[in-house]
Amino acid sequence: MTQEADEASMRGRRPSFFRRNPVLFIFLLGILLLASSFVAVLVGTLGPIGPGFPERISFSDALDAILGREGDAPDYYVSVFRELRMPRVILAGLVGASLACAGTAMQAVFRNPMADPFIIGVSSGAAVGAASAGLLGLTVALGAVAAPALAFVCALVTVMIVYRMGTVKGRVYVDTLLLSGVAMAAFLGAVVSFLIYFAREDYHQLIPWLLGSLAMARWSYVLVISVPATVGILAVFLFGRELNALLLGEETAHNLGANPEFLKKIMLITAALMTAGAVAFCGIIGFVGLIVPHMMRIVVGADHRKLVPAATLFGASFLIWADALSRTVIQGEELPVGIITALCGGPFFLYLLRRSRGMGAMS
Amino acid sequence: MKLSISDLSYAFGGCNVLKNVSFEVGEGEFLGLMGPNGSGKTTLLRCMTRYLPAAARAVLVDMKPIHTMTDRELAGTFAVVPQSSSTDFPFTVRDVVMMGRIPHVRNRLASTSRKDVEAVAAAMEVSGCAAFADRPFSELSGGERQRAVIARALAQAPRALLLDEPTVYLDISGQLEMMDLVTKLNKEQSLTVVAVLHDINLAARYCDRIALLNHGLLEAIGAPDEVINSETILSVYGVDVAVRKDPFTHNVYVMPRSARSKARKDGARVHVLCGGGSGGPIMRALVDSGYSVTVGVLNVLDSDHECATDLHIPIVAEVPFAQISDEMHAENLSRIDETPVVVVSPFPVGPGNFKNLEAAMYALKAGKQVVMVFGDDGPNIDFTGGKADAFLKSLIDAGAILVGDVDEMLRLTAKGGLRTQ
Repeated sequence: MTQEADEASMRGRRPSFFRRNPVLFIFLLGILLLASSFVAVLVGTLGPIGPGFPERISFSDALDAILGREGDAPDYYVSVFRELRMPRVILAGLVGASLACAGTAMQAVFRNPMADPFIIGVSSGAAVGAASAGLLGLTVALGAVAAPALAFVCALVTVMIVYRMGTVKGRVYVDTLLLSGVAMAAFLGAVVSFLIYFAREDYHQLIPWLLGSLAMARWSYVLVISVPATVGILAVFLFGRELNALLLGEETAHNLGANPEFLKKIMLITAALMTAGAVAFCGIIGFVGLIVPHMMRIVVGADHRKLVPAATLFGASFLIWADALSRTVIQGEELPVGIITALCGGPFFLYLLRRSRGMGAMS
Repeated sequence: MKLSISDLSYAFGGCNVLKNVSFEVGEGEFLGLMGPNGSGKTTLLRCMTRYLPAAARAVLVDMKPIHTMTDRELAGTFAVVPQSSSTDFPFTVRDVVMMGRIPHVRNRLASTSRKDVEAVAAAMEVSGCAAFADRPFSELSGGERQRAVIARALAQAPRALLLDEPTVYLDISGQLEMMDLVTKLNKEQSLTVVAVLHDINLAARYCDRIALLNHGLLEAIGAPDEVINSETILSVYGVDVAVRKDPFTHNVYVMPRSARSKARKDGARVHVLCGGGSGGPIMRALVDSGYSVTVGVLNVLDSDHECATDLHIPIVAEVPFAQISDEMHAENLSRIDETPVVVVSPFPVGPGNFKNLEAAMYALKAGKQVVMVFGDDGPNIDFTGGKADAFLKSLIDAGAILVGDVDEMLRLTAKGGLRTQ
């Protein structure tokens, strides 16, 4: 298309259907999430959907097991569905929502669509905290809260360091920021490996966690993680208007009555909190915070009042599906879900990098 | 709204960016802030928006110090239009304008109110961006973007509009549209405007008053024709300008002096016969080449007279619109007596200035070298019914040299043809 024709079509272009009806789109995402959760519970080695190995069970048996009804099926069906599958799917939803929402908040604070808890190194920071909590025996002493608490502290320190590195005289240099994030992630990854290497007996147990996995899901984890997830999502949503203003620069945000210093602090704390919750139990699941907000921006636009609910709901569905895939893609084997998200996310990151270079939007 | 800046100083990194600046801006006034780069204009604006911290009682709105206001209260007082705005994120124009409502949101949980929607629609209508309300902000032209940002400022429902060089990245039509829009808002909504402006002529044309800053000090404040004169511009900007009045609006405007150097007193002598605006390039070229130029006979108010004044060339001058008097003609001839060379510009010849052609003949008779420069339209235009054309022929017959343009005239000079002294 010639440039004139391109411009002409741009002027006459009506916003897409969902752009004009964002509430309907968010409602549909809610329905998608409910449907995905239900279907995902049925997916697995043991279930009516999936590889059917070692045995395929019927829908009615599965439904009985989910509802806890007495039926013809063996008793362990009930414990598989109610004690393993259901918390796992809900945990996947909460983690996906947390990571997507944390990514959205970080992209606004860093004013760059390539920021993400994993890329900036916050996930690795949280992993250091969670791993040391486990290896120091704090989880035994303090219970399920110890790992996310220590993960939060380490994630917060990491995000502060990376932000300081990328900021010179109040200006955010995105190249420096991403590079210091990558360096930070590599360094903290080494710290995690170091910790695990010296905890020889737990070594095998920690491998799936290190790669990002939902296999360890339990109801107690769901309970703990639901707190940072709810608080974080609500905070990001309530500051949505101010985040919009921040994307036009800190001075503009200030002039519009949104205190940028306070906003940046509260948003980085929130993002660290949500990331810590996710990493503490499921390890490093990368790129969810990068892919999901980007896809949602294409549909609903950049306004955080619409973007935050859309990204949160879709992030939940996204990770539920990625986890369902990880349970079934190799027969009889379970793939850590972090491998699947990284396989999608790596190329996606490169695509974004190319595109933003082309637009000259990086600096 | 009355805005008072009282004894405002601001230091950054041990360097005083603003020193004891005090002035007031009245309700509905359009004040221009001017000064060279680094004079503290933007810093002053940032102190007013509290983006930079100033002393407690330095900025007062209706006698209320701004440091006692909340962030939202302040954003409802001043709306700022920066030099340019950009974002990598796909906001529509409507999204950007809606940001102006942030200071008026009472309940974070509530969705966009009807009042917000109406304020945004009205702001887009007034600033002329309703037509592209749903287009992505990042795809707009510079002028359209500034319109959207003005709409955002209006949606803030501010009491004063602060603009920081809003026209820097716009082309000339964009600059005028932008300034017309701001003036319209200033007049129709009696919105107080404080604008940092780079372009002296734009400021003189649109502002009620101009505050001129230099090295952080308030150098002058007042109406444009009080503040803008060649002395202040020379002392603040270090540039030699001529200050003129626009014949249509009587606004002052500045023009950098045309010559790179002033006419020398000790160079080789050349006398120029010109008029009607035909002599400017000739005089300038001769002055720049180092000649000591004289000129005559010119009527006062002739644009050649203005040119010669700017170039500091001694002029044999006649009163406006009058025929050349015998007295001035005689003085003109006495100047010719002092010079070896006379240059004749392609001036239009009428009964009033026919004596200038006769002066050329006098020079030839006196053995001087006479160079006649043809203009783009050929030789001197005859308004005397054939008399001048006949006289031109006789000048050529008497030995006047014809050249096509100023460069050819100067080449003749360089060969020494003119440097006979």
